[in-house]
Amino acid sequence: MKSFLALAALTVLLAGCGSSSGSGPGEVRLRMVESLTSPERTKLLKSLLADFEKTNPGVKVELISPPLDSADQKITQILQTKKDLDVLEVRDHTAKSFSNNGWLGELPTTEWSGWAGLTDLTQKKAVEVGGKPYLIPYGFYQRTLFYRTDWGLAAPPKTWQELYEAGKKMTGGERFGYSFRGGKGGADYAVMMISAYNGEALNPDKSFYLKDKRTIFATAEAAQALDLFVKIFKEASPPDSVSWAYPEMVQGFTSGVTGMLIQDPEVIKTVEESGVKAWSTAPIPKGPTGYAYQPVGYAGWGVTSFTKHRDQAVKLVQFLSESQQSIRFAKGNSLIPISKQAQSDPQFSQGAWKAYLEAQQDPKQVITIRPVDYPGWSQFLVDSDRDVQALLTGKKSTADVLKAWDAFWTDQAKKVS
Amino acid sequence: MVKRLAKGTVLGIWLLITVFPLYWIVVTSLKPKAEIFSMPLKYWPANVTFEHYAELFEFADFGRYLANSLMVSLVAAAAVTVIGVLGGYTLARFTFPGRGALMLAFLVTQMIPLFIALGPLYLLMSDLDLLNRLAGLMVVYVAMLVPFSTIIMRGFYERVPVALEEAAQVDGASRLSALVRVVIPVMLPGIAATFIFAFVQCWNELFLAITFIDSEDAKTVPVAMNSFITQYDIDWGSMAAATVVSVIPTLILFAAIRRYIVEGLTAGAVKG
Amino acid sequence: MTKRAFTGRRAAFITLCLLPGIVFVVLFTYWPMVRGSVMAFQRYNLFDLTQTPFVGLENFAAVLAEERFWTSLRNTGTWVVVSLFFQFVLGFGLALLLRRHFRGRGLYQAWVFFPWAMSGFLIGLLWRWMFNGQFGVINDLLLKTGIIDQRIGFLSTPGWAMTSVIVANVWYGTTFFAIMIMAALQSVPKELYEAAGVDGASRLRQFWHVTLPHIRPTLALIVLLRIIWILNFPDLIYSMTGGGPAGSTDIVTTFLIQQVMGGDYGRAGAVGLLVLALLLAFSIFYLNVTRSADGEKAR
Repeated sequence: MKSFLALAALTVLLAGCGSSSGSGPGEVRLRMVESLTSPERTKLLKSLLADFEKTNPGVKVELISPPLDSADQKITQILQTKKDLDVLEVRDHTAKSFSNNGWLGELPTTEWSGWAGLTDLTQKKAVEVGGKPYLIPYGFYQRTLFYRTDWGLAAPPKTWQELYEAGKKMTGGERFGYSFRGGKGGADYAVMMISAYNGEALNPDKSFYLKDKRTIFATAEAAQALDLFVKIFKEASPPDSVSWAYPEMVQGFTSGVTGMLIQDPEVIKTVEESGVKAWSTAPIPKGPTGYAYQPVGYAGWGVTSFTKHRDQAVKLVQFLSESQQSIRFAKGNSLIPISKQAQSDPQFSQGAWKAYLEAQQDPKQVITIRPVDYPGWSQFLVDSDRDVQALLTGKKSTADVLKAWDAFWTDQAKKVS
Repeated sequence: MVKRLAKGTVLGIWLLITVFPLYWIVVTSLKPKAEIFSMPLKYWPANVTFEHYAELFEFADFGRYLANSLMVSLVAAAAVTVIGVLGGYTLARFTFPGRGALMLAFLVTQMIPLFIALGPLYLLMSDLDLLNRLAGLMVVYVAMLVPFSTIIMRGFYERVPVALEEAAQVDGASRLSALVRVVIPVMLPGIAATFIFAFVQCWNELFLAITFIDSEDAKTVPVAMNSFITQYDIDWGSMAAATVVSVIPTLILFAAIRRYIVEGLTAGAVKG
Repeated sequence: MTKRAFTGRRAAFITLCLLPGIVFVVLFTYWPMVRGSVMAFQRYNLFDLTQTPFVGLENFAAVLAEERFWTSLRNTGTWVVVSLFFQFVLGFGLALLLRRHFRGRGLYQAWVFFPWAMSGFLIGLLWRWMFNGQFGVINDLLLKTGIIDQRIGFLSTPGWAMTSVIVANVWYGTTFFAIMIMAALQSVPKELYEAAGVDGASRLRQFWHVTLPHIRPTLALIVLLRIIWILNFPDLIYSMTGGGPAGSTDIVTTFLIQQVMGGDYGRAGAVGLLVLALLLAFSIFYLNVTRSADGEKAR
């Protein structure tokens, strides 16, 4: 018993010593948190931070890499305490709520020499929330179609109807046409199809609404789109894909289970490293009237409003956003880069990247802005995914789902105005 | 004879059911990545590799996480046991105002869903400057397990005859020394069981740990393992290797005091 | 047993012994819980924390109006009852078989009790991997033995998902039950059998008339603890299916996690309080029923 207590006392003592790692005199310690964590990315980010420390002696950066699943939740929690955080990753999903709560500090724009080197899109997105520069994006995500060229596809499908037909042809035995997403994030794809089917009527600046202020879910076209969505799942996709999210979709494609996949550019790298050799990319499919809509996803670096080392924190964000570092980061993660310099970089215009150029030049491939700044946005993300699963498993009808989404966004519109 | 055979068969089947998943995790941990995702499935790796284990220690600093976990679990379990030994004693041997209410309050803690308390607890830990420190984790683990250890300990005391310690007190020993010298030795199995139970709970705890720890320095094993789940995929090979490694300490402890556990774990609940 | 009064030095001793436990529990369990419960009556959404007015029972009304809450409640019933039933029956069987000594019993116990040493989170992952629709070993085994001729999406088909998580839970929990019941069985004094004069009676009768009545209070308590734990610890479901597909494995606690993830702490608090109330009501009811059944045995 005595030794027991002694052991306890000893370990408490040890614990006390071990956990207080003080910083040296005059040294500035920045704490930085990332959100879209992955082992590879974290490694790359750490090497960039090491470069920053080298050029800024006396500054140390501690990187926090919370597990992806709950990262934004975690960042919110840290922000709530209003201490011990200087630099953070802000996503399009979280920017509005972080700024609402007064947690983000404004960044310099034109006063900063690097600002002019950013692409127009980057500058626009940097000030998208509340008109103030709360973050500098580090790259953009946009979806593209990946397809097998050795599974009997002469040309990539141009419309969703064609994708359905091509997928059905590929399906048989152990093979399926399409890497369907029925799990987390699945509703996003339903919305993508519904948007395309609404065609010209859609308002790209508030992409869940039409130009006549109704929601995109209220139309007959929406019902057509969602019916086809279910058909693609039932007739051209693995039954398992009802619960597929990002990893399973990509694995499905790279392991030769599925022949088509719609995903972000970072998959280019994954596919290149996989066993699949005969493949290509194309812009995302369109609706019957020839339109395709998708948002451009982004995330970036920002500083907190309560940082005690504002100068160094801003410096770090600027360092990461300068062309050399930002291109390295975009390449490492295969993202659409933020730097004007990258436009002349061959890597971003060759091979699989060609589809992005093609989409950029097509006026009917429209970039939209989602209502991420509406109060119900995060609730909708959770709810709509479950509605999609209910739809796929026959627990809800197309009409039920559309009715619910229409009601939700009609109500949101009232809350915002 | 037939009966013995039947018994043997049933036990054998259950053993198979229990052991197979463990076998499978070991096999997965020894397969190269390409083999994990290839058909047909192989029930023994064609090329045995230790790359996932090497990765754990080279790349993920798993040694430190193990040390952190060990430290947190040992200290918290020890503290929980000591507090339980003292608290259980008073609950078993005395009547006093509020005793019933206290026991009820302890029982109710088991029913509180963790997630309603998590947000406020986080702010409290921040105010006390206990975030990202092993000491902080120890403190919440103690709070989490004290009700259970106290109640289970009370059950053990009730099985020890009061006469035993009264005899010691007649000999002139104080209450505390009677407790330490006479009662506790009798209760050793129970104490061991409580300790290991608390240890296992702390060792495996995930939700509190990912909430309060994000510094590399203070990560525990479950927190580290949780980070193998990324947006891109679940790294099943590393995950399997980490599972194997993380189970070993518990296994050793378990083997060392298995004798006591069976006796210990329930006895407390018997009279609860 | 003589219980002594609360005065003077004795009071000081009692207080001293209990104080550490009380301090920990009050500070780190009850205080945050109370604070969290207050949020249940506020509009408390992480989206905008600059305004957190009290809104009465609005959050409760919103939760109760949600069909998903009721679905998760029904699922909770299935999850708890079916898991518990199999854990209990298998655990009891195992305990009976392991009751008498045989060669290698120690080793056998060590292997069979092993799942207990793993966390719910890990077990969830382990089974998620084995139930995988493409590379899962369970599909492979069933195909090989000819029980099925096409892979089953265990975790992606609503009908199968609940079955799958319950299988994992039974695998996990049976052991703990077995340990508890074994200990309870060993606590039956030998003399009882002699005293009852059932030496000549059949094993079954001995079991029915002596063993069972003796261990019933223990069993009742273990079962209650299990119920609370199965319901209140969502790790396993969370890491296996996250409540999906289509909410078919959502139980009240995973539903609660989703509310927290959605950032609405107000609603999360309301769900939490409802769960707590449910468990409390059930426990009181359960204890009353089992007490009165054991009434004649009461001390």
